[in-house]
Amino acid sequence: MTKGLQITSASKYYNEGLNRISALDNVSIEVEPGEFIAVVGPSGSGKSTFLSVAGALLKASEGEVKLNGQDISKLSGNQLSDIRLHEIGFIMQASNLVPYLNVLDQLLVVKRMSGKVSTADKAFAVKLLEELGLGTKLKSYPEELSGGEKQRTAIARALMNDPNVILADEPTASLDTKRAHEVVSLIAREVRTRHKAAIMVTHDERLLTYCDRVYRMEDGKLSLAKVESIL
Amino acid sequence: MFLALKELKHNKARFLMIAIIFVLISWLVFILSGLGNGLSTLAASTFKNMQADYVVFEQGSKASMSKSLLPGELTKQLAEMPNVKAVSPMGTIMASVIKGKSTANEDKVDIAIIGIDPGSFLEPAVIEGTGLTSDNMTQVIVNNTMKDEGFKLGDTFQLDGSTESLTITGFVKDQTYNHVAAVFTPIAEWRKIAFAAPGSDKGFTEPVNAIMLQGDDIDSNALNKQLSGTDTVTRAAAVQGMPGYKEENGTIMMMLAFLLAISAFVLGVFFYVFTMQKTNQFGIMKAIGAKNGFLGKAVVSQVFVLSLSSIIVGIILTYGTAAIMPKGMPFMLDPKLVSTYSFVLLVISLLSSLVSVRTISKIDPLKALGRGE
Repeated sequence: MTKGLQITSASKYYNEGLNRISALDNVSIEVEPGEFIAVVGPSGSGKSTFLSVAGALLKASEGEVKLNGQDISKLSGNQLSDIRLHEIGFIMQASNLVPYLNVLDQLLVVKRMSGKVSTADKAFAVKLLEELGLGTKLKSYPEELSGGEKQRTAIARALMNDPNVILADEPTASLDTKRAHEVVSLIAREVRTRHKAAIMVTHDERLLTYCDRVYRMEDGKLSLAKVESIL
Repeated sequence: MFLALKELKHNKARFLMIAIIFVLISWLVFILSGLGNGLSTLAASTFKNMQADYVVFEQGSKASMSKSLLPGELTKQLAEMPNVKAVSPMGTIMASVIKGKSTANEDKVDIAIIGIDPGSFLEPAVIEGTGLTSDNMTQVIVNNTMKDEGFKLGDTFQLDGSTESLTITGFVKDQTYNHVAAVFTPIAEWRKIAFAAPGSDKGFTEPVNAIMLQGDDIDSNALNKQLSGTDTVTRAAAVQGMPGYKEENGTIMMMLAFLLAISAFVLGVFFYVFTMQKTNQFGIMKAIGAKNGFLGKAVVSQVFVLSLSSIIVGIILTYGTAAIMPKGMPFMLDPKLVSTYSFVLLVISLLSSLVSVRTISKIDPLKALGRGE
C-alpha cells in the first residue's frame, strides 16, 4: 500500500456566469511520508483550492486524490470529516484556535470529536506540548499566547491524532521573521521525526530552505520549481 | 457537553445576560400561571373539589347555576337512571353578610350561599367544628377565609337585605365560589333565602338550581331525552359554565400563550446570534474534522444547561414571590402546573436552538482557511 498523499490529474472548475474558470488545472503531485513540500505562487493562483482539495475540504471536479492509498474523491460528507479528523493535520493561519479552550484542551477537543479522552491521550498531548516548548502554557487561553505560541499550539493540534498528512496554510502569515523561522523549522522537524507527508502553502519565500521540494502554482497549474531560482 | 461547559465558564458575562432574560421570562410565566390557577380556584374551587361527576341543569341554562332552576322531585327520577350511583340537589345564591350591627364598609362581606343536603356527598369535610345537621337549619359551615374577616366558630351573622341569621358551626377549606367564600347551608334554608319573593320559585315544589350526579359513564344524551327540560353536562363543563370563568381563564391563557411564543422567538434569536458570532470557530473545528453532530450537540447541550438553570432560578424566585405576596391575592402555585410550564419552557428553548444547529450544518469549513474562493 502506498503511503502519503497522491494527487493525479486533479482539476477544479467553477462556473462564473457563462465562463468556466479552472482553479486547478490538471494538477498531479506525490508526497511521501517524511517529505516536506512547499507550494508558492501569487494570490489567486489556486493555492488554497489546491490545499482544500488535498485536505478533503473540497472535492475535485476531475482526477483522483489518494490519501494513504484510499481514494477520497467518492466519499460522503461525514466520511470526509472522519478523514480530516484522523488522516489530516491542519495548521491554519494564526488565531485559528478555539478562543474558550486552554492550550491542553485545544488538543483534547480533537480526541473528543471521535469519542472519549483517555489518560493516554492526555499524556500524549502534554508530551507533545512540552516537546514544542509549551510545557508552561498548558492552562493558558489563546488570548494570553504570543503569535508564535499560538502557531506552536496549532502544530501540536495538527499532530494530536497522529495523521499521515500535514497541511499548513500560510502558517507564518502573522509572524515576524524570527518566529516564522522558529515555527517552520518546528514543522520540518516534526514532519521528519514523525514521518509525515507535509505540504505548506506560503507566500514567504525565505522559508523554503526547510522544504525538500518547492512547487510553483500559476493559473491553476502546478510545476516543480528550483529552490535556487527562487532564492 | 465538553465544549458547552468550557465556553459557559469562559464567557460568563455573555451567558449571564441571556440567563437573566430567561430567568425573567420563566419567572413571569410561573407568576402568571400561579395567578391563573389562583383565580380559577377562587372562582370555582367549590365546584372543582366537589365529589360529583355530572351536573343536571335546566335546558337552556348554558350550564350555569344562576340561570338554571329545576323542580326537586327530579332527584328521585335521576336516581333511577342507568349508571347513576348517587344524586344530590344543590342551590346557590350570592349574598352579603353583616358582622354584628356594624355599618362600616369593611364589616360587610360578600359570600356565596350554597344549599346542599346535610350529610350528602356534596358536603365538604370540616377542618374545625362540626358539619351540617338537618335539625338546625340556620347552622352553617363556611370557608376558612372568613376567619381572616374576623369570623369565629359560633358567630351568628345576619344576611344583608334579609331577616335570616346564620350561625357558624364549622370551617371548611378550599371552598370558594364566584371569587367569594362559600357558605354551606341545608338546602331548605337556602330555599328560604333564595325564594324570599313570592313566585320566584316558578311554582316548583322544592326548587333547586341543579342536581349533582355521581357515577361513571353516564349517558348525558339519554338523560336529556328521557327527562324533558334538562341538560346534563360533566362537572368540568359546569365549571366552564360559571359566569366569567371562561373569560377570566381565557385572558390568562392568552397572556401565557403570547409570552411563550415571544420567548421562543427571543431565545431563538439570541441563540442564533450567538451561533453566527461563532461561525469562524465552527468552521475551524469542521476543517479539523468535527462533524455537524458533534457541534450540534455542543450547542443543544449548552442551551439545555442554560435553560435548566434559568428555569430553576425562576422557580425559586416564584416561590419567593409567593411567600411575600399579600394574603388576599388570588395566587396559587400548583407543583404540577409549575413542572408542566418548566417542561414547556425547556422544550421551547431547545426547539429554538435547533435553528442554530441548522445554521451550523450549513457552515462551510473552507471559510476557516481565511478566504472564500
